[in-house]
Amino acid sequence: MSADTTAPAPSLTSVFVRLKLSLLRNGLRQSGGRTAAYVSSIVFGALFAAGTVLAFVLLRGHAPAATVAVLVTGALALSWAVMPLFVPTGDETLDPSRLVMLPLRPRPLVRALLVASLVGVGPVLTFVLTLGAALSLAHGAAGTVVAVLGVPLATVTCVALSRSVAAANIRLLTSRKGRDLALLSGLVIAIGMQLVNFGAQRLGRAGGLDSLEPAASVVGWLPPAAAIGAVDSASRGDHAVAAARLLLTAAALAALVHWWRRSLVRLMVEPDGSTIGAASDAKADGRSGTGLLARILPGGRTGAVMERSLRYVWRDPKTKAAWVTSLAIGLIVPLFNAFQGGGSIYFACFASGMLGMLMYNQFGQDTSAFWMVAQTIATPADAYAELRARALALLSVTVPYTVFVTVVTAAVLGDWTKLPEGLGLAFGLLGAMVGTGAVTSARFPYSVPQDSGYKNVVPGQAGLAWISIFGGMITAAVLSSPLIAATIYLHVSDQRSLLWLLLPAGPLHGALLVLAGLKLAAPRTARRLPEILASVSKG
Amino acid sequence: MPDQAFDGTSDREGTAPGEGAVPAVRVEGLWKRFGQQIAVNGIDLVLPAGRFIGLVGPNGAGKTTTLSMITGLLRPDHGRILVAGHDVWADPESVAQVKARIGILPEGLRLFERLSGRELLAYTGRLRGLPGAEVDKRAAQLLDVLDLTGSQNKLVVDYSTGMRKKIGLAAALLHNPEVLFLDEPFEGVDPVSAQTIRGVLERYTSSGATVVFSSHVMELVESLCDWVAVMAAGQIRAQGPLAEVRGSAPSLQAAFLELVGANGREAAGDSLDWLGGGAGPGGGPR
Repeated sequence: MSADTTAPAPSLTSVFVRLKLSLLRNGLRQSGGRTAAYVSSIVFGALFAAGTVLAFVLLRGHAPAATVAVLVTGALALSWAVMPLFVPTGDETLDPSRLVMLPLRPRPLVRALLVASLVGVGPVLTFVLTLGAALSLAHGAAGTVVAVLGVPLATVTCVALSRSVAAANIRLLTSRKGRDLALLSGLVIAIGMQLVNFGAQRLGRAGGLDSLEPAASVVGWLPPAAAIGAVDSASRGDHAVAAARLLLTAAALAALVHWWRRSLVRLMVEPDGSTIGAASDAKADGRSGTGLLARILPGGRTGAVMERSLRYVWRDPKTKAAWVTSLAIGLIVPLFNAFQGGGSIYFACFASGMLGMLMYNQFGQDTSAFWMVAQTIATPADAYAELRARALALLSVTVPYTVFVTVVTAAVLGDWTKLPEGLGLAFGLLGAMVGTGAVTSARFPYSVPQDSGYKNVVPGQAGLAWISIFGGMITAAVLSSPLIAATIYLHVSDQRSLLWLLLPAGPLHGALLVLAGLKLAAPRTARRLPEILASVSKG
Repeated sequence: MPDQAFDGTSDREGTAPGEGAVPAVRVEGLWKRFGQQIAVNGIDLVLPAGRFIGLVGPNGAGKTTTLSMITGLLRPDHGRILVAGHDVWADPESVAQVKARIGILPEGLRLFERLSGRELLAYTGRLRGLPGAEVDKRAAQLLDVLDLTGSQNKLVVDYSTGMRKKIGLAAALLHNPEVLFLDEPFEGVDPVSAQTIRGVLERYTSSGATVVFSSHVMELVESLCDWVAVMAAGQIRAQGPLAEVRGSAPSLQAAFLELVGANGREAAGDSLDWLGGGAGPGGGPR
């Protein structure tokens, strides 16, 4: 080898870039379906980038151009910052723990890693988007010059941000807690989509973009969006402001690289203590069987099962993701609709529907640990106690939450007269969902994969899951139809003074449906224990 | 403690198997197939009570399938299973009798891993209907004996393989079962944990309870068990007191290889006569 010790840096950078290129090439060389997915994601990305650039060009010269350009860049930077925490990238060139055994100096290593991480679909997409943002703003010579400097600067800062966040958290990310965090990524996407959906609706209305101006004026000073803000300032003739914003971004980049380098050095020279950390953390939050929860809950099987179910809501990433998604979407949908003036108290039923869904596939949520439950069930009475305790654990959270969502929705709508019927319907639906959930748990159990944040059904059981969820939901709708029919009848026949009757009728109807569901499910569960165990053990 | 246990087992060595008492497990014509493959091919077994019993056989012999069917976790295609005189697959009343009398440590199934070791025992004990104070007392003692007290507040998901086996064993023993079924309890377990598990099991059988465990490690079975059942290709090849099954063979390993017809395979080594790290005469062509 001709590489001598006086100039090792360029060769190191080219080694990393070539490594990255071969990984990308090998990604394309993978078997059938994966190649197709890879190519289609690239095509989709290219189309998306082209569309966005076109939109930016069309926006050029219009008033909200600066607001949109700055906020898009800000959102881009945010996604780069959180991505390493939720999406395991599989980009092994960037995992410093793989480089520990190599004799590398920090400075050339950081440079090489930074250049290598600029190679890829993501950085190219970021470059194109920031280029579009700059295109919508750049006017005149000064604007063009700042854009030429600002676009690469913003792109590199995005990548450096992502890498430094990842390096600082790599111990967390490779530990069990980090993997748990990655499992919550599905949740972030589910809730994020709801927020984006409502945000887009809000902005779609005339003048909606103006409301974002204050946000843009702040984000415009935050790197790397400040680099795009600088393009706008320069185009307006505020050369000093433009220079300040560019310098701010450059300083942020320098600080990020410095932080990254320090994390890398620490990672390379210090032993990995992640397991020790995990152990002491668990000790801190671990409580014995005589904790607060145990003291409140009833004794015997009911208390034990409720306690375990509620602990799992907090401790098991898959269960937690399902719960937080249901709680958040159950709140977002009625509230946002109410805020936008298009809402109705009946949207609060959405919350009870989402929450009731958590009763579905109870045993699938246990995974193969269901054998521990199956071992203690012999008679339908045992199965009834088990299912009832699970329903009680669910209801102990969902009943107050349903009241909360309905009351808040009524408050936002300013229509308290509809609260009784809204509550009645919501409870009726919740009861129907929990009741059908118990039956489908016994009849159509399926495995929930534990290693993926996105998949909730293992291959081969999708049909079973669809029957369980949609069959159950349709049944629940049919079962709560008497309440719905009564509401419609009382409205149509103008007997609104009697609508308060739904407040006692709804919970009563719901409670009866829960009881009926549990009674129906218990003997089936007791009879089918081995079949249920086999069905939920495939994850 | 182990000494006492050995005294106890040697006392029982003299009595005939299952004589006078209800056997711990009686299996008649047990059958199970998965698709084309017959996993358990019509086996009959009588396992006497109060013994340390080893179910041995190569991988894929049907040991786990058999144990799963005996413990009520897998439904058999045909056959009858009695545990302590109660039918495992009959009416709920009989099933309840069986489930109250057995403890299981399965292989390849999860535990409720997001509970701490202590919480897992509290949960299991209360699910079994034991009073809270009694669960706490027994759990504390089991954790202590199994050397898990220091990790009792750690989540089971962060436990090592040996610790998982030990907490699983504690959960299986908590309700003081008559018969304990352990599927490969020493697989992947370090020697220290293995010795701990062994000590607990020996103490348990010395008080008259029955342990049935599966393994493919013959030395282990030979040193622990006083009764063995040899399984291969879904069938029972031999069952009885250890000395009887071993017969004139120098070790259980040799007897086992003979029983499953694997002795001839040693000759297969001849075709690898070039092996030897280059030290041998035929270092191989260059």
